Amino acid sequence: MFERRLFFHVDWLLLGAVLLLTGIGVAMIYSTTYVTLSNGAGHPGPQVWTQMYALAIGMVALVICLMIDYRMFAEHSLMLFGGLVVLLIFVLVKGSTQMGAQRWIPIGPFNLQPSEFGRLTVALLLAMVFGENRRGARNTSDLIIGGLFTGVPLLLIAKQPDLGTAVTLIPVFLGVAYLAGLRLRLLGVLALAGLMIAPVAWKFALKDYQRQRIETFLDPEKDPRGAGYQTIQARVTVGSGGLTGKGFRQGTQGQYKFLPVAHNDFIFSVLAEEQGFIGVLVALGLYLFVILRSIEAARWEASFRGLRSR
Amino acid sequence: MSTNLMPDDRRHLAMRLSALQYLVAVAFAALAVGFWVFQVAQHQKFAEMAENNHLRRLPLPAPRGVLLDRNGKVLVENKDIFNIALVREQTKNLDATLQTLAAATGVAEAQLRETVERRRREPSYRPIVLIENATPEQYIAVRARQWELPGIFGQVVPSRRYPEATAAHLFGYVSEITEAQLQKAEYDGAEPGEIVGQAGLEQAYNRLLMGTEGNRTVIVNSVGREISTLDSQSKPPVEGRAVQLTIDAEVQKATEDGFTIAGLNGAAVVLDPRNGEVLSFTSRPAYDPNAFAGGIDRATWASLNTDELRPLQNRALQGRYSPGSTFKMAVGLAGLEENVVNPDFKVFCAGGATFYGRRFACHKKEGHGWVDLRHAIEQSCDVYFYTVGNMLGVDRIHKWATLFGLGVKSNIDLPNEVQGLVPSTEWKAKYTKEKKWYAGETISVAIGQGQVSVTPVSLAVYAATLGNGGTRVTPHLIKAVNEGKGWTPVPAPPPQSKVDVTPEKLAAIRDGMWMVVNAGGTGRRAQIPGHDVCGKTGTAQVISNQGRLAAAKSGRNLRDHGWFVFFAPRDNPEIAGVVFVEHGVHSANAAQITRHILNTYFAKKDGNPLPPPPTREEMRLDFSDRFARGAEGGQ
Repeated sequence: MFERRLFFHVDWLLLGAVLLLTGIGVAMIYSTTYVTLSNGAGHPGPQVWTQMYALAIGMVALVICLMIDYRMFAEHSLMLFGGLVVLLIFVLVKGSTQMGAQRWIPIGPFNLQPSEFGRLTVALLLAMVFGENRRGARNTSDLIIGGLFTGVPLLLIAKQPDLGTAVTLIPVFLGVAYLAGLRLRLLGVLALAGLMIAPVAWKFALKDYQRQRIETFLDPEKDPRGAGYQTIQARVTVGSGGLTGKGFRQGTQGQYKFLPVAHNDFIFSVLAEEQGFIGVLVALGLYLFVILRSIEAARWEASFRGLRSR
Repeated sequence: MSTNLMPDDRRHLAMRLSALQYLVAVAFAALAVGFWVFQVAQHQKFAEMAENNHLRRLPLPAPRGVLLDRNGKVLVENKDIFNIALVREQTKNLDATLQTLAAATGVAEAQLRETVERRRREPSYRPIVLIENATPEQYIAVRARQWELPGIFGQVVPSRRYPEATAAHLFGYVSEITEAQLQKAEYDGAEPGEIVGQAGLEQAYNRLLMGTEGNRTVIVNSVGREISTLDSQSKPPVEGRAVQLTIDAEVQKATEDGFTIAGLNGAAVVLDPRNGEVLSFTSRPAYDPNAFAGGIDRATWASLNTDELRPLQNRALQGRYSPGSTFKMAVGLAGLEENVVNPDFKVFCAGGATFYGRRFACHKKEGHGWVDLRHAIEQSCDVYFYTVGNMLGVDRIHKWATLFGLGVKSNIDLPNEVQGLVPSTEWKAKYTKEKKWYAGETISVAIGQGQVSVTPVSLAVYAATLGNGGTRVTPHLIKAVNEGKGWTPVPAPPPQSKVDVTPEKLAAIRDGMWMVVNAGGTGRRAQIPGHDVCGKTGTAQVISNQGRLAAAKSGRNLRDHGWFVFFAPRDNPEIAGVVFVEHGVHSANAAQITRHILNTYFAKKDGNPLPPPPTREEMRLDFSDRFARGAEGGQ
């Protein structure tokens, strides 16, 4: 299980791109949280250090993962999945409630959010399920089994409630199923079913505030001072950046807090504002490179080992 | 499917991976296009929105120009007041904010709401003044609850300060620009909320006085806190021009004092007959222009509008009254200039005379006996002027009255002047139903009754024109303007008309007016030794004696108005004008006020100490109402 060779076969370009993106992220957090004191001096906000710690933890995790053959995870994915479900149930029963949702398990100074492991675990498990020693295109029964493995955590997470995280499991499921060779016709049927269910779900499954959130996402002008404010300001932030941007630490939307908690989910807007369309293209390019390179890695893996080597 | 299809499976995966890669690439291309649309195609729009977010242009009101009197005494200036204003953009909950503000300041919430409602179409970052001229208590209360009142802040603005109880109608008043005014070309460039002149000089010379609003551009954060000032985009306000008036503060005060002590309402206009400079200008009752300067409250405004005495009316410009006997000089001059009579022409007054089958009484029942022109003016003999008027006909009276400023606008540089009326056959044909002029009507016109009506300012011009020998000067109020680089004199406007009156004929009229004051006439109260005051009294009946009997119970004030027109000294006069006492009963009371005006003027000119205001006793006011008087006839 310990693959020493992996150290020498690290895709340095991929790693470099990821580190570059991380660096850009830290720089943008530095920029937008910078506090200027009345005497002219200043310092970046504490979020920069949080991000740096997270980066260090991430690097450690990276090294550990490199040392372990990922197929080992796939092999134990059912166990991992079991652990995930237990944690999700635990969260529902005993988790700490913040901002109206029960998502976290406090562990000392940290808050563990089990749903964050959802995508990874489900992906591993689905890979195992679809990659089982079976041949040919996957059929309806695979779909149903895979659907069940996705649906259980999805419902548990949606119950917290955290619909946003819950629905991210769906593309994971579809992606794995697609690559595993699920018949396109079945995918089509699935899409059709989704379309037909959507209005029903809209009417019955969603709560008022959830509907409202989707509505303001689609049309932020409906409530420009309330729910739509963040979206509108994010657009203003991005749009005001122009071609070349306002410059490092020169953004007004993030700096003066017109875009609330810009250092968080909206950090990309800060990049767009301060570095302009050019900065956006660089970042998008890096992301695209990371994704294409990752898919490429899957291709190598398949051709190197053979699809059915096990 | 069988095992030999396995390579297919692998190809299958490779294909699907490629498809996924293309899909991702397309999605990222779409994202890039999306960013291009926001950041490049629509950049302008979003850049502006971002700027509106963090740049705040705070208007800095310009102080209005200072008004000085002809000797440099400051008459109208500015003082700083506190306003409490609202920036809607920074409020989270407007209703709650207004409610809290109302509670903190004691101002009615409905009133605050109405102000906001009225200005709702303005950009939400522009401050709306909610409480003008806030008391220190209100200001402190707002400061103390600052955290509960997002979007509410105090501003210090210059506000108009007028001298106490002086020349309110002359200065006019200022207030926030109205919606209607914003549409007008003369207010081009003015912003909503700016203060503009609404009456009097403030309105007439608003352009000069108002200056240019400046602004301070500040960077604010999302909760409206100022981060810093952007000097490059800020602009200091430019103070309005200082204006020197023709007004003489002391003469003005003497005029006001005269009315105040006499306890009378009315109007007075005093001019320099040589050039038309207005030395004093009064209309009573007055209002306090200071009440407008800081935003007039509703109750005060309502009471000003509903007051039966109509304090907002500028009587000197807008009051139309019959001139009574002050009109007689115009008739006498017309008779002389049209060669209908000469100064020695005599008429026998038997206390009345009959024209066209109707008897017209003289105010002196027992009659004046034989009178010539000079004595007819001195004694104000009605019969004499009935006779001359009848010989002239109405059109020749109209011609000369107009040349001397009656029945036309004076074109003084104040807004909303009203035109008086001196009838003519043409006027009657054009503007009345009856059309035809009856010779009998001329008789009443000859003594300034009937259809004749004049404004006080036009009578002042009339007095000045009689004094200067036929030049109908244009009354005006501006002497010089300070453009910031010292005083630039403003030339006097050209006269409205000029007629060369034969000096001997004019002398006869002036003699009569001199005798009114200095011999046995009706204006002796205005006599000032050594200064040869010339004058003429006049009475304007508010209602005929018969009508008065009928209306006696109505409670309206129906007492006569009194006039006194004057100029001095007789030769080369330098002061002329009119005093009008509304329901003042006797023109002698007007002459009494004139006396104090002239005393002050000449004391100042001769370098003597200014006379103290007379006591009421010294004024020897006469309010005896001679109820039973002849049906017509003036004094």
